[in-house]
Amino acid sequence: MAIFLQTLVAGLLKGGLYALIGIGMTLIMGVMGIINLAHGQMMMLAMYITFVLSSMGVDPYFSLLVAMPALFLLGVLIQKYLLNPLIKVETILPENQVLMTVGIGMVLTELARFVFKSDYKYVTTSYSSSTFFLGGISFNVPLTIAFVIALVFTAAMFGFLIKTDLGRSIRATAQDKDAATLMGINTARITAVTMGLGAALVAAAGCLLAPVYYIFPDIGGPFTAKAFVITILGGLGSTVGAILGGITLGMAESLGATYLGMEYEDVVGLAIFVAVLLFLPGGFKRLTKI
Amino acid sequence: MKKTPITAIVVLAALALLPLAVRDNYFLHLLILFLMWVVIGSSWNIFAGYTGQVSFGHAAFFGTGAYTAGMFVQHAGISAWWGMAFGGLAAMLLGLPFGAICFPLRGAYFALASLALNLILMHLATIAERFTGGMQGIMIMPTFVSKVPYYYIALGMAAVTVVAIQVIVRSKWGYYFVSIREDQDAAESLGINTNAYKNVSLGVSTFFTGTAGALYMNYMGFIDPHVVFSLHDYSVMAILVAIVGGVGTIYGPAVGAFIMVGLQELFRSGFFGLFKYLGDRTGSEAFTQAMEVVQHAHVLVFGILVVAVILFLPNGIVGDWGKIRKGVSRPKSAA
Amino acid sequence: MKGFGKGLFAVAAIALALVPCGGAQAAENVKVGIVLPLTGPQAKFGEIEKRSFEMAAEEINAAGGVKGSRLELLFEDDTGKPDVGRAAVEKLISRDKVPVLTGGYSSAVTQAATAVAQQFKVPFLVTTGSADEITEKGYDHVFRINPTSSEYFDPFESLIQKVGGIKTMALLYENTQFGQSSAKDVEGAAKRAGIDVTVKEGYQAGAIDFKPILSKVKAKNPDIIYMISYVMDAALLMSQSKELDINPKMFAGGGAGFTLPEFQQKAGAAAEYVFSATLWTEDVPYKGAKEYFDKFRKKYNAETEYHGAEAYGSMYVVADALKRAKSFASKDIRDALAATDMSTAFGPVKFISYGKKTQQNKLPNTFVVQWQKGKMETVWPEKAAKKKFIFPTPAWKDRK
Repeated sequence: MAIFLQTLVAGLLKGGLYALIGIGMTLIMGVMGIINLAHGQMMMLAMYITFVLSSMGVDPYFSLLVAMPALFLLGVLIQKYLLNPLIKVETILPENQVLMTVGIGMVLTELARFVFKSDYKYVTTSYSSSTFFLGGISFNVPLTIAFVIALVFTAAMFGFLIKTDLGRSIRATAQDKDAATLMGINTARITAVTMGLGAALVAAAGCLLAPVYYIFPDIGGPFTAKAFVITILGGLGSTVGAILGGITLGMAESLGATYLGMEYEDVVGLAIFVAVLLFLPGGFKRLTKI
Repeated sequence: MKKTPITAIVVLAALALLPLAVRDNYFLHLLILFLMWVVIGSSWNIFAGYTGQVSFGHAAFFGTGAYTAGMFVQHAGISAWWGMAFGGLAAMLLGLPFGAICFPLRGAYFALASLALNLILMHLATIAERFTGGMQGIMIMPTFVSKVPYYYIALGMAAVTVVAIQVIVRSKWGYYFVSIREDQDAAESLGINTNAYKNVSLGVSTFFTGTAGALYMNYMGFIDPHVVFSLHDYSVMAILVAIVGGVGTIYGPAVGAFIMVGLQELFRSGFFGLFKYLGDRTGSEAFTQAMEVVQHAHVLVFGILVVAVILFLPNGIVGDWGKIRKGVSRPKSAA
Repeated sequence: MKGFGKGLFAVAAIALALVPCGGAQAAENVKVGIVLPLTGPQAKFGEIEKRSFEMAAEEINAAGGVKGSRLELLFEDDTGKPDVGRAAVEKLISRDKVPVLTGGYSSAVTQAATAVAQQFKVPFLVTTGSADEITEKGYDHVFRINPTSSEYFDPFESLIQKVGGIKTMALLYENTQFGQSSAKDVEGAAKRAGIDVTVKEGYQAGAIDFKPILSKVKAKNPDIIYMISYVMDAALLMSQSKELDINPKMFAGGGAGFTLPEFQQKAGAAAEYVFSATLWTEDVPYKGAKEYFDKFRKKYNAETEYHGAEAYGSMYVVADALKRAKSFASKDIRDALAATDMSTAFGPVKFISYGKKTQQNKLPNTFVVQWQKGKMETVWPEKAAKKKFIFPTPAWKDRK
């Protein structure tokens, strides 16, 4: 029983972090319909920013204040100068945008490698391994904090999208870009802002992950994969779906690791992914309606 | 252009005669890689470029072909050449159920499903140690010491693939494929059995890709899950080859293959040792340093190139050839 | 017009192929081809090995070279990928015409590279690639200086006998070639020693969270937890073991992960008392070991470790073979290598056959180190130990 509970808790906390990674991508996919395959690499950048700041004595939680705006800006620039131009061009396959993100991901990874080399970098804090115990089950402190912050951001995103003008413009663009343009929304600007927001959110995930993991240029790939599993699980554009999807993935991985074997951890995620694609297209969003 | 361009025939003839003039193994190796990519890129192209089903996981089929050939040796003691015959079939056997399950998915979702297939196979190959050797991979001794037989096999495969695709594309099937790509629902409503044709396209695509994988096993002598199921090195590369060359064109992937293989090696080796040569000859430090930068950053430069090509030549070199010619000839006409 | 472009490229390719490559060569240079991961995820070790090769070559050349000729090192980057490694070796053999090769870091690349060398009958001295299969194919042109992955556990067998009381083991390993093959051997060795392996699990390297698997381990309460991991997984395994309050009698590592300084830096207090197998430390009783370590640190302002020592030793072995060889032709170098019997900073080198292996160097022993007070101390075998091992491992709660 103890193993089961510990597994659930581990999965839950990990899931919060996953959710934060997923929210960014689901927003981007929901609004622009493109799969941002550079998502993990953006997180990697945020982690390196955290690393650099940490070597100057800045705590990772403060790095949030630097990394998030920085990645926001990067997202906006990428969308404006590299992705938006592609929308106008007549090509045989619409997947050029996705491929552009692949190229961007490659460039970001290699830039990081160029500057920081392939060595593992890490951020050590006094609280990296802090735990507290609840009934014999160990809770890792930084992950718990990350979980709480993920919930806060999800709620904030949710409120933002429903209540504010900008949020509503984003949802309008997601629903029907042409109609939104006709309604006077500057969709180019909206897509840029959305990309920026997505990048900022995944940057937050990176800062929060830094104390419990490590940093290297190739870290992006697996996280991008998890991001789109969560996006599909949760449903495109759904913030609530993202948090549910993240937690589901986290717990499924942990349970798979415990009961099937740790080498199956990633396969579990992929299997869920395929199952959702086939049997519940639209993801949790279909069930939760938001 | 309804005839096979005369230059394609000339190039083919040149390639066929090449080993007589060039004995350099390293160079032949690069050419074999190039030919292999012609096959992979063209197969991806028939499925994605012509039929509009963008697969992000073509490595799944490549790897299946490679492992089929490898496992024949490992478990049945049969020559891996039999694997070449069956590699393509094995890939097809993987592809058709995949298609049956995932064809209802459209666009980005289908792409993601293919990506998932790729990753799932990679993980399974790693875990199923008893069948695949896990991460220890499969190692066999190549049958021929000389590269020339492999070169001709690869050349044959490339030629067959391109010709087959040309024949298909110019037939009625080709029209059906394109109609599916342009608007699947409209095609369906016109009475075209889109599912059947998607399967045909998938079958052709996976067959050639799988055979390329089997050739890889025979030629390289060593595979492991991270090598042949690599998302980055095979799936994404296949897409890049086709896109850089020109999707939806017959010779686009061939041009793309040439460029991608060539560029990668160009940068990795510091312009084929040209920088080193110049550096030694002139005694100039600058050359050596430039070479080191290029070599260290070769993947970075490559990535930048990808971004640039997608941005400025979205239809690939062949597709946007007109654009390139205009760009090149403009300065002259301004005079 | 599209075909024209293609033709243009083909012509350009042919032209490039005919461009002579290679720099000005003095007739007195003997070339050694070295394949290493100079870029990519393993670049750090590739760099340590490259520097070690270069340092050794400088020393050898300064002392008169080999039979009056200077050693000229030609490095090729395998980028960590076997197909690139293969192409690199082919380039070294056919373009640069090197008569001898060395290097080989990752097992996968080494397998591909040595197969090529064997095909073309160019001797290859493997420096680091540790998969057993590399010297089990009967390739007469392949030699290996370093122990194989199955031999990493050997010193533990005697240590475990000495401390006694170890009856059960949890075996965790990364799903890589090294991990999988080492795990098989450790399991076999454990059974021979009468130890019951109650948990054996592979994991995908790079995992964030080991708590599920560690909870299973905790529930089984083994006497020894043996982990075959690379550096960051190792650090996380230890800090998460601390978080879960797992207390076996011994934590032991079987991969390079536990001996790198980054392991201790990342895991901090959790690294304390962890044992690890290692092939070489600067304290080993071989002539030149400490000098190599100090020289490296002085010259490059960085620390070296056993990969560097392997490279350094390999260079000396190659030079020695070149000195003894009847000529600088590959066949004569191969024969000279086969007759090697010398000592290097890495250890004694003599290529013998045992078990399924041929032309494999067998070190008299490998070592066990333990992290004590934040420093890595050689603790076993006794005659090489600088400090005594601390056993059993104090429980987490009892540590200061």
